[in-house]
Formats: sequence, C-alpha cells, structure tokens
Amino acid sequence: MSQIPRPLGLLPGIALLAALGFLGKLTEQSITRYGKAHHVALPNIEYVLWAIVFGLIVSNTIGVPAVFRAGVATYEFWLKTGIVLLGVRFLLGDILKLGGVSLAFVAIELAVSIALMTALGRWLRLSPKLTSLLAIGSAICGVSAIIAAKGAIEADDEDASYAIAAILALGAFSLFAFPAIGHALGLSDHAFGLWAGLAVDNTAEATAAGALYSDAAAKFAVLAKTARNATIGFVVLGYAIYWARKSNRQGVENKAAFLWQKFPKFVLGFLLISLLATIGAFTKPQIADLANLSRWAFLLTFAGVGLQTNIREMRKQGLRPLAVGAIGEFAIAGITLALIFAASRWFGTV
Amino acid sequence: MKRNLTFDWWAVIAALAAAALVRFNILPHIPW
Repeated sequence: MSQIPRPLGLLPGIALLAALGFLGKLTEQSITRYGKAHHVALPNIEYVLWAIVFGLIVSNTIGVPAVFRAGVATYEFWLKTGIVLLGVRFLLGDILKLGGVSLAFVAIELAVSIALMTALGRWLRLSPKLTSLLAIGSAICGVSAIIAAKGAIEADDEDASYAIAAILALGAFSLFAFPAIGHALGLSDHAFGLWAGLAVDNTAEATAAGALYSDAAAKFAVLAKTARNATIGFVVLGYAIYWARKSNRQGVENKAAFLWQKFPKFVLGFLLISLLATIGAFTKPQIADLANLSRWAFLLTFAGVGLQTNIREMRKQGLRPLAVGAIGEFAIAGITLALIFAASRWFGTV
Repeated sequence: MKRNLTFDWWAVIAALAAAALVRFNILPHIPW
C-alpha cells in the first residue's frame, strides 16, 4: 500500500458496504415474511449470500469507483472482528450436553466429511483452498465455518463466494428432502433430529428440518448441530496451522517464528471470547447482543466480498465445486443415516 | 485474498473492546 488512507477517505466505501449489506438483510427478511404470510416453507437464504450477490452485481456491471475503494478494502477488518465476536456463540460446554453415542457420531461425521471432501476436491482438481473451505463448511456449520476459515487460510473471495453459495443451495435442498426420507423410513424423533443435526450444514436449516419433522426432533437437531458448531475453533485452528506451514516452502530457519508470523492471530481472539462465554462471563442477553454485533460486521464483510468477486474468475471454476459439494453432502447424509439407523436397530440407543 | 496482517490485531482489539462495553452494560441493547 503506497499510502495509508485517512479515516474520512474510508467513509464512502464503508457506507457502500453498509448499504449493500443492509439491502441483503432486507431481502432475507422480506422473503421470510412472505413465506410466513403464505404458509410456504421457503429455503432460508441468508443475508450473507444476498450481500455477496448485490456486491457482485455492482462490481461486475458498473464497477466500483475509486472514491469507494479504500473503504471497501476494510471488509477484511469487519470479517475478522465479526469472527472474534462470533466466538460468543460457540460454547465449549455444548459438546458435553449431547451424550456418548451421539457425540461419537459427531466425531465420525467430522472425520468423514473432511476426509471425503478433501478426496473429492483433489479428484475433481479444485483449488486446494476451495477444497478446504468446502470441507470445513460441510464438516461443521456451513456459512459461519466458511466465514471463519476464509480469514484463517487467506482464501480468495471467489472461492469463499462459491463455497457459501454451494453449501446454502444444498442446505435448501435438504430442508425438503430430509423430512420426506425420515417419514419414509419411519425414524424416531431422536434419530431424525440427530440425523438432521449431523448432516444439514447450516444451523438455521438443520433446525428448520428438525422442526418440520416434530418439536422433539428439532431439539435433538439443535443439540447435535451445536455440538458440531462447538468444534469450529479447533478445526479452523488446525487448518490455519496447516496452511501457515504449507506456505513455508523455502525452509525458513526459525520455523516457530515463521508459523507465528503467518498465523491468523484473530483466531486466538475467537477462542478467548468462546472461552469467556463458556465460563459464563456474559449473560444470555449479552451473548445475543454480541452475536448480533457479529452479524452487523458480517453484513459489511460480505458486501465487500461480493464487490471483490470477479464473476469471470468464478466461471473458470465451472460447476466442479458444486459437484464436489453435492456428491460429498449426499455421501455424508447417507453415511450418517446408516449409522443412526444401525444404532437404533441394534442398540436401541437413538 | 492478500492478507492484511495489521487487521488481525485491530480486529481482536475492536472485538474485545465491544465485548467489554456489552459486558459492563455501557453499550445499549444491539438489535438485529
């Protein structure tokens, strides 16, 4: 950077981010309201994706005038601030609430998803970082995990946009498919809830899929999903270290110092806030306030991601990332269903 | 994405400051 932009010079760009992001939020809300008023189950397309779409439209049609650019570049600051604040929603204690057998399923789901997505990504020759994003997104929790990982592994904006779109599209599909399959197999509320919580990636959609089955199923879906979510810090930490190491090609002398230099420090902030929330430093309303604050930060972030996303670059990737996502998700849904089905038949535990 | 490393610490500082303001009820309720 040749010169440090003055604070006032940042304002037009930040205002543009806010305007596009807010438009995304309004769009999500009006679609939800329409669905409720007309009693139709519409897929929940998050403001995050709308903000990306609106940013994409602006930058790939009229472009971003120079006066906005310095402010638009701050989207990375909002991303990281939002991730640190997001830590408040991931209580390490949630992992323990689920119970033994279900917890083992969460561990299996994590391992299988990461291994499967990585293998599929390599097979279809996706860029390694896009593969990492899809693996994290499918293993843990869709959008939040991709958001956190994007910052931690320095993924391209195009990769992040694509991964978020792919995970959300598949989530919308599972919202309709899961309850139908559950009814066809005659799954119990516990078994179905556990399945939805394990195999549907976005928290909102996992909860909705559970709720479409029954209230009890929704409760188990939320429990399984939060247990998955609680692992986000560790998995992102692992990937951050992996990518920081990987960029060390020339063989630097002081490896620890190099790793530290490359390491995304804000991940530590995320873990700290998560720890503070776990030990009860915040009241419930305070947790809700901080979670809302992180949403506002992401609202700015993803308008910026959209503005920096080049459609031509995305089209070069073709449909392969979506194929990896779809094949992987179907396989994960199948494997987790088989596990739960077997456990309920043989042990009667779920 | 070319990472701007200075954002890392600023983000942590900003988030922790916001968390402290909320924790000690200095910042009012934040709606969504």
